[in-house]
Amino acid sequence: MLSDVKVFKNVCPRNCYNTCAMLSYVVDGKLIKVEGDPSHGYCQGRLCGKGYAYTRYVYSPKRLRYPLKQYPRGSGNWVRITWEEAFNLISAKLLELNHRYGSNRSLAYNKCSGNVGILHYATEGMFNSFGSHTKLRGNPCMSAGMDAVEYSSGEGRSPDPEAMTNSKLIVIWGANPAWTAVHQLNFINQARDKGAVLVVIDPVYTATAATADHYIQVRPGTDGLLALGIAKVLVEEGRYDSSFVKEHVVGWESFYKYLQEKVSLEEVQRLTGVAENVLQLLADLYSQNDPATNWCGYGLQRHQNGGQNVRAIYTLSALTGNVGKIGGDFYYFHPSTDFFPMNLLNLQGPDDGQVSRALDINNYPSQALSLVDPPMKFLWIAARNPLSQDQEVQDWTRLLKELEMVVTVDLFMTKTAEASDIVLPATSHFEDFDINVSYWHHWLALNQKAIEPYYEAKSDLEIAKELTRRLNELQPGFSNFPSERTAEEWIESEFTSEILRLYGLSSWRDLEEVPAKLQFGNNPWLDLNFKTNTGKFEIFSKNAKDDKLPALPRFWAESSDLSFPLRMLTPQNITSIHSQNWALEWIGSDKRGNVVTLNPQDAVQRKVEDGDLVRIYNAQGSVTRKARLNPEVLQGMVIIYQGGKEPVNSLLSGLSADMGKKHSGSEGAALYNAFVEVEKIVRSQI
Amino acid sequence: MTEQMGFLFNAERCVGCKSCEMACKNENSTPANVNWRRVSSLSTGNNLSISCNHCESPECFRVCPQRAYVKRRDGIVMININRCDGCMTCVSACPYKAPQFDLEKQKASKCTFCLPRREVGLLPACVSACHTGALSVINTDQPPKNTVPTIEGFPDIRLTKPSIRFRPVKEKLRYWVSSKE
Repeated sequence: MLSDVKVFKNVCPRNCYNTCAMLSYVVDGKLIKVEGDPSHGYCQGRLCGKGYAYTRYVYSPKRLRYPLKQYPRGSGNWVRITWEEAFNLISAKLLELNHRYGSNRSLAYNKCSGNVGILHYATEGMFNSFGSHTKLRGNPCMSAGMDAVEYSSGEGRSPDPEAMTNSKLIVIWGANPAWTAVHQLNFINQARDKGAVLVVIDPVYTATAATADHYIQVRPGTDGLLALGIAKVLVEEGRYDSSFVKEHVVGWESFYKYLQEKVSLEEVQRLTGVAENVLQLLADLYSQNDPATNWCGYGLQRHQNGGQNVRAIYTLSALTGNVGKIGGDFYYFHPSTDFFPMNLLNLQGPDDGQVSRALDINNYPSQALSLVDPPMKFLWIAARNPLSQDQEVQDWTRLLKELEMVVTVDLFMTKTAEASDIVLPATSHFEDFDINVSYWHHWLALNQKAIEPYYEAKSDLEIAKELTRRLNELQPGFSNFPSERTAEEWIESEFTSEILRLYGLSSWRDLEEVPAKLQFGNNPWLDLNFKTNTGKFEIFSKNAKDDKLPALPRFWAESSDLSFPLRMLTPQNITSIHSQNWALEWIGSDKRGNVVTLNPQDAVQRKVEDGDLVRIYNAQGSVTRKARLNPEVLQGMVIIYQGGKEPVNSLLSGLSADMGKKHSGSEGAALYNAFVEVEKIVRSQI
Repeated sequence: MTEQMGFLFNAERCVGCKSCEMACKNENSTPANVNWRRVSSLSTGNNLSISCNHCESPECFRVCPQRAYVKRRDGIVMININRCDGCMTCVSACPYKAPQFDLEKQKASKCTFCLPRREVGLLPACVSACHTGALSVINTDQPPKNTVPTIEGFPDIRLTKPSIRFRPVKEKLRYWVSSKE
């Protein structure tokens, strides 16, 4: 029987650091199990808990099998339709709108990270092929920090994370790899086995913090100030790398003056909550361990001062002379897709004499509702669940009511799909070809078609091909999408001679054997040749100043909301990736899923006891959770994990971070600048 | 030389990521309610990953009215599913909740030390999946140095003599924000 097992190569396409290469075991066309691909040098044959549960994703009883239509929208009166009917309904609407407004600018898409495979940019490619339309710009995840990195070193590149094995000190600022990047622990532990010290700085006592040699709790949004405090101690005591600073840094004098005159250690202690002896300990660790690496997570830049937080921590790497050092350096985000042509994303549409417009992903519905000439009428949602994961959930609900047609492509009946007219079933990554790179490690891997599509599911690319074909039958020349081009031909087109050289490949087909690693630039600043205008590391950034930002990594306290005194953090749970939670069936709906965690003192003040049902509310909305009391949670702060039946995002402020425009086209989201009140639900209220 | 296959659990390294628990389900296709390996958080703040401990004196073996359990020469305890009549005596007798009751099949089932993988020279799926080296395979007749027979939070070992050893947790330094600003 074992001889009937076929093994395929797949890549986990989730919005995750690790982008794991997998081996898929298929018997009689059915996926029976998955394993990590041992030939992938970063993942080394292991998957995370969610990854090992992938058979539950593919064969979930909740998975969508056929195209569906409901009338009226949101009624739940779903009817199964054929793909032909779906394409006809959608085409008729697209053409009618095109004729009504004389352009396709009333058509919009909203697509993000549900599947980050390169061929999933077929959605953007399809809209490009219509000519001018309404686009999406910006990034909700990491854009503020990315700009911070670019202001400092000129280019957002992250070193090879495998090099962390050489570190003597690893400081993780606001990341929880035990839950969100578990493969990195292998490299961190190799360093620890050689004597490295692991420090975790985080407002939340995470599973990663629990394993660290030193856990340092810090108040949310003050990480940058803590970094400046450490910098001040190091500089005052002359324990910084003066030759690095002299040769490779711009703006030292003004930064020195800023530390001297504006940063007071008393204020650092008061605002960050980090005591004087701990500040001293951190300074000692940085000055006594060489090389020392900083890993800056995404949480601390989801603040109004998020970009400045990242700049301050990066500056700490520079003044300790760690930038460019193997085993030292600064880790944030590696934009691997920037190397590729991204032919689908960049598909050149026909020139219809009009210009596309774009909506900010972080304020999408409010901007969409205000569009005129023409107003937005049609929305295509793919790889996205904004009603669970976006800001401005209330505006989203309004927008979805006002549009003339909403189409959602997904594997499951998400909150957003429930509010659509037509839902199209999408394939999983086991059901079509793709290629995947990571925003963390430097590997590239091929995703093969291991099994046939589940029932009538189709990939984003297949849908784009078939819908554009239908549109062109009805109105010749409507779209210039190359609908005959196969998935493998799109892959082939990504492998320019430059890409082949960068990854040391002779053909993309080499990836059928083993994944490939980037051969160049694994340590982007090894030669200390920074990509800034000055060629140096810019602690003083003229570009930042020109963009109306502080030139130096200054600290400023973000706004708070006095009527809602508790700050709410919404980190990832171990069981899910954002709202994608297929692993729950195996992992079990864990205790954290439907819970708000708060400090016992805050609970006492509100007469809330452990296990009570509570209402968490602010001016934006209200959700219900079970209260859990935990003294490890900072006073004045609550934690609610992402997603849920009543998605927690309805409480978000909609505020923006300070940076993000430079790299992503719009400011990042200050997701952690959310303030709430908690009250016990008494029986009569239920 | 005698042999007793067993696990070494490094409590210092386990981060509770559940890769072992899920890899076990993926490998053995166990139904949703049957978890041959389980990861839990201990009150000490550490984690515990536990499966069948292939005990020296297996209580399941002793109590089974159908004599469905065997202890192999390599120490691995196996259940013969064909003999099991689903009486659940073993399920309630085991201190480690190793035999799990399969509601569909109405029988007990448990960790096989991944015997089919072992036969082709592979480690158990849980050990292969561990990212931190917290789980490894040892011969508990020759326990490695600096290991201890139990840790806080692990059930009493006196009854069954489980084939598991532990590396204890080192003390770590914690600096909490003490009060509200």
